[in-house]
Order: sequence, then C-alpha cells, then structure tokens
Amino acid sequence: MTDEIDDELWDDDEDTQKDKYLTFHLAAEDYGLDIACITEIIGIQKITVVPNMPPFIKGVINLRGKVVPIMDIRCRFEIEEREYDERTCIIVADIKGTAVGLIVDQVNEVIDIPEERIEPPPESGGRSYSRYISGIGKVGEKVKILLDINTLLFDEDPE
Amino acid sequence: MGDRLHFLTIKIMTDQDNNEQLEIIHEFINETRDMINDLEPTIIGMEDMVGQGLNADNKETLNGVFRLFHSVKGGAGFLNFSQLVQCTHTAENLLDQLRNGELALSSEHVDLFCQSCDFSKEALNYIEEHGDDSGITELANNLMTQFKTTTSCSAEQTPETAPRPDELIIDLETPVQRLISAEDRQEFVHENNIIIKRIETNLIINKKNKKNKKKSAPAAMAEAILTDIGLFHENCHFLAFGELDKLTDIIMLVLEKSKGHKNTLQRALHFIWELIEVFQESLDNILQYGTDNVYGLEMYIELFNNLLPPDAQIKIHHPPPAHLGEILIQEGIVGNEDIEQALSAQERPIGEILVDQGLASREQVNKAVKIQKKLRPATGKSAACGKIPKRQEIRVDLEKLDNLINLIGEIVIAENMVIHSPDLHNLELDNFNKAAGHLSKIVRELQEMAMIIRMLPISGLFRRMMRLVRDLSRKSGKKVELQLAGEDTEVDKTVIEKITDPLVHLIRNSLDHGIGTPEERTAVGKPESGVLRLEARHEEGEVQITITDDGRGMDKKKLIAKAVDKGLIEGDGSQLSDAEALQLIFKPGFSTAEQITDISGRGVGMDVVRKNLEDIKGRVDVISKPGSGTTITLHIPLTLAIIDGMLIRVGGCRYIIPILSIRESFKPDSSAITTTPDGQELVRVRNNLLPILRLHKIHNIDPDSRRFEDGILIILESRGGNICLFVDELLGQQQTVIKSLSHYISQQGEVSGVSGCTILSDGEVCLILDVQALVE
Repeated sequence: MTDEIDDELWDDDEDTQKDKYLTFHLAAEDYGLDIACITEIIGIQKITVVPNMPPFIKGVINLRGKVVPIMDIRCRFEIEEREYDERTCIIVADIKGTAVGLIVDQVNEVIDIPEERIEPPPESGGRSYSRYISGIGKVGEKVKILLDINTLLFDEDPE
Repeated sequence: MGDRLHFLTIKIMTDQDNNEQLEIIHEFINETRDMINDLEPTIIGMEDMVGQGLNADNKETLNGVFRLFHSVKGGAGFLNFSQLVQCTHTAENLLDQLRNGELALSSEHVDLFCQSCDFSKEALNYIEEHGDDSGITELANNLMTQFKTTTSCSAEQTPETAPRPDELIIDLETPVQRLISAEDRQEFVHENNIIIKRIETNLIINKKNKKNKKKSAPAAMAEAILTDIGLFHENCHFLAFGELDKLTDIIMLVLEKSKGHKNTLQRALHFIWELIEVFQESLDNILQYGTDNVYGLEMYIELFNNLLPPDAQIKIHHPPPAHLGEILIQEGIVGNEDIEQALSAQERPIGEILVDQGLASREQVNKAVKIQKKLRPATGKSAACGKIPKRQEIRVDLEKLDNLINLIGEIVIAENMVIHSPDLHNLELDNFNKAAGHLSKIVRELQEMAMIIRMLPISGLFRRMMRLVRDLSRKSGKKVELQLAGEDTEVDKTVIEKITDPLVHLIRNSLDHGIGTPEERTAVGKPESGVLRLEARHEEGEVQITITDDGRGMDKKKLIAKAVDKGLIEGDGSQLSDAEALQLIFKPGFSTAEQITDISGRGVGMDVVRKNLEDIKGRVDVISKPGSGTTITLHIPLTLAIIDGMLIRVGGCRYIIPILSIRESFKPDSSAITTTPDGQELVRVRNNLLPILRLHKIHNIDPDSRRFEDGILIILESRGGNICLFVDELLGQQQTVIKSLSHYISQQGEVSGVSGCTILSDGEVCLILDVQALVE
C-alpha cells in the first residue's frame, strides 16, 4: 500500500486523485473508498450465481463482455441483507488488474479528505472488521469510515 | 559466478539499453528458432545424399545448411553467445569439408548436424531464461568431442573416399561462392560503396564539363573511372561475386578499347552512370543475402558489348530484352541509332524523349512500357529463385492478439444485444434493419478473421515428427518411410501445442509396436521399408489428423488377453466388440509390447494421448486390422475458444453443456426410476442403471419441476462413466464463446462442476458445466 502511495507522489497525473474518496452509504454509516482504484459505478443488474462461493460473493455479471465477480459489502460485514432497489449500486474497482464489483446501498459523492483530517483506525475494537478500515475521515461534523480495498477484497477469513 | 556477473552487467545498463538488448536477444532467439526448424527437414533430407557423392543438387543442399548455420553463428557472435558460436562454427567447418569433397557425407555426419540443432535449441532455451549461454558449456563440450571423434574417424577413411575426378569437374563447373563471413561482407560492401560513390562523383563532374563545353577531354576522366572500376572488379573477383565480376570485366574492356574514341567513351561513361544504381542494389543484396544478384545482367553486358568494335565483341547468348529502348527497336518502332541518341541525351525517361522527338507515338511507348514491366519482375524472380519462399509476416505479442480477439468476441455479443434489444420489439424499422443486417455481416466476417488469426499451418509440427521418425528408425534398425500430407492445414496455436505430445506418443507406438523389422516384414511378404503416413485435413468443422502405418496391426484376442491379464477388465472380455477391444489400449497401464524400450511400452502412452485430446475437447479413433496396419485418427476442434453448447434451464438459471458430452436426452418413465436406500436415485436406460444428479440440488436453485416426469434427463458421458443430469428444459444448441470465470472467483473458493462461463445474447453471464467434474 505504501508503495502505491509512493508511486502516486511521483506521478503528476495521479496528483489530482490524491486525498479524494468516493463515499457511499451502507446501513447506518457512511464509508469512503480511495478513488484511485475505482473504475466506474453501475446500477444493479442481474447477477449469475456461482456455486460454492462464500456468502459475500454474490456471483458474476457481464460488464461489456468482461466477467466481473460481485461482492456484497453488507454480507462482507455481516450486516443484515436487504432487497436491492433502484439506488443500489455496484462500484467497480480494479486492483492489480482484477476487476471486482462491490454492492452498496447508495453512492453519495466524491470528497476531499486531507491527510491531517484522517485518524488511524481503532486499535482493536474487538470486532475483526476493523482490519478492513484504513482510517476514520472527519468531514465537518460527520465521520466517514475509510475502507482498505485490499483487505476488503483479498483477506481470506475474518477470524 | 561468471555468468551471474555477466548478467549483472546487463542489468546495470540504463533501462533503455537494457530493453534494447533484451529486445535484440529476443528477436535473435525467435529468428534462430525458426531457422533451425527450417533447417531440420533439410538435414534429414541429407540422409538420402549419403553415398551419392557430390553433385550440383547435393552441393546446393549443403550450401543451404551451411548458410543457415552461418546466419546463426553471425547472430550469436554479435550477441556474444560463445558456446553457440563454437557449435555452429564446428558444424560449418564440417560442412565446408563436405562440400569441398574433402570428406564424404555419412549418416554419422547427419547425426552430428541433428545434434547441433538440438544443442542450438537447448542453448536458445537457456539464453531465453538466463540471458547468456555460459551455463551450457558442458553440453557444448560434449558436442565438440563428438564432432572431433566423428570427423577423425572419417578422416582415416578419406583416402578411399577421396574426391573422384568426375566430382572435381562438377566442382569446377559450379562456381563456388567462397566462405565469407558477415564481417568480410560488410567490409566489402562498405569499401566498394566508397569506390562507387567516387565513380559517381567523377561522372557528375564529367557531365558538367560536357555541358559547359569545357574541352577537358573525357579521356582523363575515363582513366580515373577505369582505375576505380578496376579496383571494384578485383574486389568482386576476389570474393567470387560472379555477376559483378562479369559486369565490371566488360566495362573495363570497353573503357580500354574506347580510349581515343571520344563518342564511344562518352557513351560508355553514360552507361556506367546508369549502372551506378545497379551496383548499389547489388551491394545491398550482398549485404542482405550474401549474393550479388544483378537484375538484367545479360542486358547490361550486351549494352557494353555493343560499344566494342565488332572484332573485339564477345559472343553472348541473346537475352530477352528488358530495356525500353530495346523493346522499341524490336517492335520496329525506332532504330538503334535513335535510341542511342536519345540515351545520350537522357535526363528524362527514354520514352518521353522518343515521343518528343517524334520518333514514336505515346501509345507505342506506353505499350512498350507495359511489356517492360512484364519482363522486369520475371527477371527478378528468376534471379531470386533458389531462395526459400518466405511468407510475409509480422511478429505480434500473443497477449495483444488475444486482447484483440477478446474485443472481437465482445463486439459479437454487443451486436447481438443491440440488434435483439427488447426496446426494438414490434417496431417498424426498415432502415435500422438494413443497417443492422450490414453490421451483422461485418461482425461475422470479423469473427471469422479472429478465428483464423491464431491459426498456424501444421507443417511445423509435422516437420518435428520427421526428425523423430528418423531417430527412432535408426535406433531400432527398422526402415520407415514417412509420408506427410495436408501440411498446410491450419490449426489453432494452442491446439498445436496440445497435440504435440500425443502425436509423439502415437508415432513412437507405430514404430515400436506397429512396424516390424525388415526381416519380419519380408517374412510376411511386405516391402522391407514400412510406411508411416501422417495426414491432416479439415473435415466436418474439425481438424482430423490421421497416423497410418502398414505394420502388424492389433489383434483383438491379444488385446483382450492382455487386458484380462492386467486386470483391466472384468470377465473374459468375450462380450467386447472389435471397437471396444481397441478402446482397451487407452486404459491406463495397458501395454502390449513384449519388451519395454526407453521410449514406449510402459503403458503410459495411450491414456495420455486420450487425456490430452479430451483436454482440448477432441477425441481419438482407432481402426486396426491384424497384419495390415493401424490407423489412428485424432479429431480436434478448430478452436478452443468456441464450443458447441446446449443451453439448458433449471428454474431461473441457464447453463451450457458441451454438446460433445451429451449422449442423449429423454423424458423418463416413473417406472424406470429406482431409489437406493442411501437416497441415490438411479434410472434404467436400456440395460444400464445410471445415477441421477439433480442440477437444482447441486446449485441450490428453485426448479420448476421436482418430479422426473416433468423435466428432462440428459445422459452425460465422460471418461469416468455416464450419469444422468436432471434439468427443467432444453433451450437449444448454440455456439458458445468460452470465457474464464474471474481469477478472483477461483481465489474465493473451489468452483466445482463449472469449467467457465459465456455471455448469452441477452448479455447475461451463463455458466458452462464441467461434465467431467460432475461425473466424479
């Protein structure tokens, strides 16, 4: 992760993306994802179920000919599932060439959160989900939970 | 440590240098591989030359092999691959001795050349991995020792096989191009380019002088030019570039003879002026191909010859005219004098001058130009023939190509989605439909292009088999004639890779078990030499490769006895049909060879063949008649990217089943169903009981029908046996573009029973069932 940041510092084009986060709403909280890894946001569409997957992998969709696996973040955090509606979105992220879609309740906006406004994640809050969190961003009075996309996608077992 | 250091020095270079270096090495490896692949059949062909002595054809073959080794050496030398240089150099030396008649060609020599090829391949592999070839010194030394022992053995025999007089005569007749290294060639070309530049400058000055009516006689100029031409001539003569040698020779003669004849001299100088380009072209040829092709040599020689006084003219065979002027003369439109006049004034195309001077009409000249055009390529061709015809090709990164093919696949899907969009239903759209039809046609063509773009002719694979057959037959003392057919049949690159091993196994089997020794064959009244036929062809939308031998064939009784002996079948096997008995050879652990050789007979061959073929969705057929031979046919799909699939539905989910795995489908009778105490449902199909799999249970779907009578049963067959799959409905057959499920998915869990996915015309992802996994 630090490597990636280092790269970004050297890369002028990436400069505009620094400190920018895509925020979305899930259950009662607002979350943020580093925008550098996000390729697009699409509406919910029919998902083809793949057998023998962990519950948070809902299946695959066809994104312009590309087969993209879909993860439901509610299931990942073991929050109670709900029906998808017209506000449900799929955030397509691309990490090291692997495209993965993330289902969220609602996408809000892209905001700037400068580094000094971000606090480190809670040390060990007892709940194992804190390791998906890269920091807590403070925007005005509100708090955005910033997620670490790498652990979110690639961490095998939330034990 | 040494090679490590060497590698480091490459690493330390700047990125750009490094990339360039790697690029060059990569290019060298690819080119050399191609060259060696081209070379191998020729080397094997040399076997026929053993004991024939030297004749022009043989010499040409030796020269061809020599050239290729030489090119490899040149490239390797440039890149400092010393082992490779050493090996090719030794091979070259041997070849040189062979073509000079110092040694007589023997099978051992052919072996050595084959080994050199093997070594070169090995070296290339090593270079590809490590960046240099210092790690294979041992291999190289082994080869060197072999070269030494073989050549010293034959050297002892040389007195007997010393060049006979008749060979010597041939030697004199065919001008031997001397052994010139690439460096020599470069130096030669460089040096002579300077000479020609000098001649050119002198000629330009001469022209200017003439225009300015300066009296400084052309004689002095001619003297200077003569000296230069003389130099050039000597150089060419020394390195035995025959065509340039001849041409410069006559020019010198003309210049000598025309001393004092101002007009002739001026004309000669003019011709030389015209020839500057020809010289340069020829030098380019030398640089690139090592030969000094002068197109239209005879014509030039005659031009100069005509300048000579009649008594001094040399007699030459009349060549077809290729100069515009000559054609015009032959057609009787203008006279010789007119042409010469025009030529001497020529700053523009000769045709225009003639038209201007009213000597010929424009039509006549145009016609002559056409004739000239026809003649030119013909002469060019005849000069170039003897070289291996080369396909125009471009090397492309396979990944880029695959991306392109993927994109085309997506276009096909997108087009389907647009044209069959539900929004368009029940609309009168004449213009749209017309445009859509046009689009569909283009997309179809594009798709076909994408399919053939990855296709390669199978000849490369077949050629490798030539080598194999030769090695095997030499080792076993059997005589085998390999016949190849349909070498230009094109097959997907991946398919070629997948069938290489099976083909090797099959050919080994044929040679080991099929074709007998010469004594054995004559005893049963067959010709001494066995015939192994390898044939490829397109048929019924697939590629078929047949391997036919005229050997012993397979005896059903023997096969069954063996299988019973090895415990591969139950009972005495008497119920097996001929075809079923032949299928026994594909069972793991089956081998009928009385004696196990190092290459086959371990009973692992045929099941590997079958497995590899199944991996690429192909199959193997065997036909064999005891006593008259065996034919094995490999059926291979044209491409791996597309399969024929059956679309089925269970509840709201759709799946594709490869058609190849479907044996039949039927609506079962409730009386045919049995349930075992542990809950396994079985269905009786004719005399077999097959286990039933409910797809909705495996994939946890809510189906339309739970009773077998409401849905449909599909019998799936695979290596592991047959099963019945219970589904709601068959939706129809369709061409399926296979895509892999995302890498991410396979990280998350073991996807069993699914081999991939495809995208349906409505854009939905549809899983392809893996029948093999389902059966297991």
